[in-house]
Amino acid sequence: MQPTEKKKRTILVVGGGVAGMSAAFDLADSGHRVHLVESGHDLGGQVAKLDKFYPTDHCAFCPLWTEIRRCKEHSCISVHTNSRVETLEKSNGSYRAVITKSTPVIDPDLCIYCGRCESACPKGVARPIWEHAYPPVYLIDGDRCGDCRTCADVCPTKAIGFDREELQAEVAVDEVIWSAGFTEVSLAPLKEYGWGTHPDILTSLEFESWKAESGENKGAILRRSNKAIPRSIAFIQCAGARDLRLLPQCSAVCCMHALKQAQWVKRRNPDIHCVILYTDLRTVGRDYYEYALRDFGGNGVRLVRGRPSLIYPLPGGDGIAVKFEDTATQKREIWKFDMVVLNGNLKPTLSSLPGDNARPELDAEGFVNRTATSCGFVMEPADVTESAIQASSAALRSILADKS
Amino acid sequence: MSKISLFLCNCFGEIGRVIDLEFIRKKFEADPDVDSVTIVDSLCMPDDAAKAQVLTRERRIGKVLIGACSPYGKMEFVRLGLAKEGAAVRAVDLREGCAWIHGKDPEGATRKAANQIDMELALLQNRKDSKDLTLRVQQEVLVIGAGPAGLSAACGLARLGFRTHLVDRGSAPGGLLNVVKKVYPTDEPGPGKIKNLVDETGENPLIRFYGKTKISSVKGYAGDFKVKLTGPEGNTALRVGAVVLATGARILFPQGLYGYGKIKNVITQMEIERRFATGALNCKTAVFIQCVGARNAERPYCSTICCPLSLKNAMRVMDENPGARAYVLHRDIMTPGSVLEAYYRKAMQRGVQFIRFDAERPPEVRGQEQVSGVEVFDSISGVSRVIDSDLLVLSTPFVADPESAAIARMFEIPVDKYGFYEEVYPIHPVETRNDGIFICGTSRWPVSSDQAIAQGEAAAIKAASFLGKETVSALAMSRVPGGKLGHAAADAAACTGCGNCVAVCPYKACRLQRTGNRSVSRVIKVRCKACGNCVAVCPNGAMQMPEQNYRVTGEMIRRAFREVR
Repeated sequence: MQPTEKKKRTILVVGGGVAGMSAAFDLADSGHRVHLVESGHDLGGQVAKLDKFYPTDHCAFCPLWTEIRRCKEHSCISVHTNSRVETLEKSNGSYRAVITKSTPVIDPDLCIYCGRCESACPKGVARPIWEHAYPPVYLIDGDRCGDCRTCADVCPTKAIGFDREELQAEVAVDEVIWSAGFTEVSLAPLKEYGWGTHPDILTSLEFESWKAESGENKGAILRRSNKAIPRSIAFIQCAGARDLRLLPQCSAVCCMHALKQAQWVKRRNPDIHCVILYTDLRTVGRDYYEYALRDFGGNGVRLVRGRPSLIYPLPGGDGIAVKFEDTATQKREIWKFDMVVLNGNLKPTLSSLPGDNARPELDAEGFVNRTATSCGFVMEPADVTESAIQASSAALRSILADKS
Repeated sequence: MSKISLFLCNCFGEIGRVIDLEFIRKKFEADPDVDSVTIVDSLCMPDDAAKAQVLTRERRIGKVLIGACSPYGKMEFVRLGLAKEGAAVRAVDLREGCAWIHGKDPEGATRKAANQIDMELALLQNRKDSKDLTLRVQQEVLVIGAGPAGLSAACGLARLGFRTHLVDRGSAPGGLLNVVKKVYPTDEPGPGKIKNLVDETGENPLIRFYGKTKISSVKGYAGDFKVKLTGPEGNTALRVGAVVLATGARILFPQGLYGYGKIKNVITQMEIERRFATGALNCKTAVFIQCVGARNAERPYCSTICCPLSLKNAMRVMDENPGARAYVLHRDIMTPGSVLEAYYRKAMQRGVQFIRFDAERPPEVRGQEQVSGVEVFDSISGVSRVIDSDLLVLSTPFVADPESAAIARMFEIPVDKYGFYEEVYPIHPVETRNDGIFICGTSRWPVSSDQAIAQGEAAAIKAASFLGKETVSALAMSRVPGGKLGHAAADAAACTGCGNCVAVCPYKACRLQRTGNRSVSRVIKVRCKACGNCVAVCPNGAMQMPEQNYRVTGEMIRRAFREVR
């Protein structure tokens, strides 16, 4: 049988991060049609929001930008942003999916990023999308919008519409690949981490955009409370993860993520004292352990094994206290830091998955069960490399899946 | 020489309120190289974009220059849209780069805009087109190594309809899994896990398995590799479009470590698998030591599989010897993710004891001829403990197969400093710097059998989508949308054969070729990625990128500083 005789399939890929884009591109590149559904404003997922990428330490966006363009410009891929899968019905071995698109107030296809809405808005709710979106557009924060509609009058391309209706499209697909990625889960239930009690206690993704070169501080490492330069930062690993009260799983990416962040803090300001409080230093990929080793010596990122029992802001804004046992010395310690970064609270996302009737089977921890085709964090905690591998593997499985 | 059409976008006044577009129009209408100057309100809006496309098509405009927003804005969509009409399209950033950042200096901004347009005109007028090459892609594929990664790659390719040659130096497929009695975390037997794949290699008429066979030579490039095999049936010559390397790795032999080889019952993970297989495992207390020969100065990497392997075998010892105890001495338990972390919890619940030690204070083996115990400094409780033990299992890491280096040389792909095949970039984990060569499994980096199978599938679809194109233009062989800039080309008359280009080419695209009594450089177009390294090091300008040749660059620099009137 010649390969060209193979029937081309149509695949629905749910989630447009690294995993979803890789799967979509591999399918399209082998001639299959793809509907790539992304709930966010743009493709790229969580990686698009990262300042830097491990282990290369490159800007995360550069390699991703190519992937985003490859998907957007491929004739076999229909990209549905701001969309969700509403329903999914299986019959005779194939699926009918209803995709609902809710175009935001500012239509990204028409926005030319001129910024007139931002100058006109009296409440300051028209803001540029995150710096790494391609192409860049403006967004309106609907919750804080006063509905004065001044922006609509100044928009030169008539991109602003307040009374849009959701659009629905029905597509017939042969297979579905779930690649919805991860979302942060609130650490509020675990009171000992002190999350939400002080602006200088951040989650690692909050810290990533706070320290980003393209962010509001232009790469400077500052305290969030008073914009002063911090003297010390603690990175707390397994916050919420490997914890039967919240997330039993290991989130797999946090050890390297913390090492990367601590290293970038050091690069930008070597005077800031960085401590990583970890449980197991999980560095299993190519060059990952060496990446961790780089930090032990002169670079001065201190790795301490210990899990905090209490994190609390000191009175008078004088920093954050972290109480823990250093297991190497068996001593109980209380150390003072200017900032605390909490790492680990990642769970597989459900937001872009359809309603209960069409959702794939999930296991107890919320991951997509292996009976369905999935890739990336929604299948198993994974970093960029693992996600890309799983994505290609899922692409192959979706083509070869027996339809009889 | 065909003339250039210039489209200037006003961007609803974003550009025009700072830059004097009329001045620019008049200035360049007078330029003999310019055919027409059109000012539009918004090149990215459907109406104006269509207008520009129609104009380009109808007037058969070969060269187009756009002045609009930055390439990170919408200009790239406009550029690629016009390029589809067959024109050479360049673009100048007039909005972010001129109007916005020089908003307070309209005259300066206009001068800068004019200079930039002038420079791009020089490029369009002096650029030449690289000669393209249309490649007929051979429709067969070679997979080297028949472990889990190679088997899954071969079966994937065959199921997609490609004739697949599967080569292994052993006599039967299966690789390391043939030795493993049970795999983590499912406890299914190793050979059973890949049984359907092994069966398929025998049953699927598209797969041909070559046992006890080695690669003797490789020639060619993506789409057309000529590979010679040497095996029991003599020599076989193949022509394949793509190659999947799944040649596997070795597990470090811990000679001299922890008394291995001297003290009885100090064994490796592979030996405990064999003992399980023969049913001859009797022990009261098994101790597993992790990171033996790994995460040290010589091998500063984690081998991924040893922690879960020890969890599995520790539980297995307890299952098969009622009353037996199992200890895992570790530096970090490496069970990332949800499945392995749950497996770790299961082992703890099952009663496996975990003791953490410092790399600086490794455990010590007790016993002269027969292992009698292990002394370990428990770094969490801060005390030394002696565990009476009659079995010591050393978890040693994967190390690169000694043959990997030779295979990598033959297929012209890089290996990392430990000898594992290296991918092109973390986001493209099974692709290599040499197009058409894909890597998977433990020859790429230590992985579990599940990961190896997934990587094999990943390599299969990547290879299949390349083969599926049947004919490929060398200029389109790029991971960047819109294709490559061009191909470097050496002027044979000017080339002295110094070999600088060969030394710097990261893609091994430059070759010295003997013509008559001298050597000249020749560029393999399929491999060239237009990085320009060879152009930079060529001492006499023989190597050029036609699209960005020395005339282009020289003229652009000259015009960058030309007075604008």
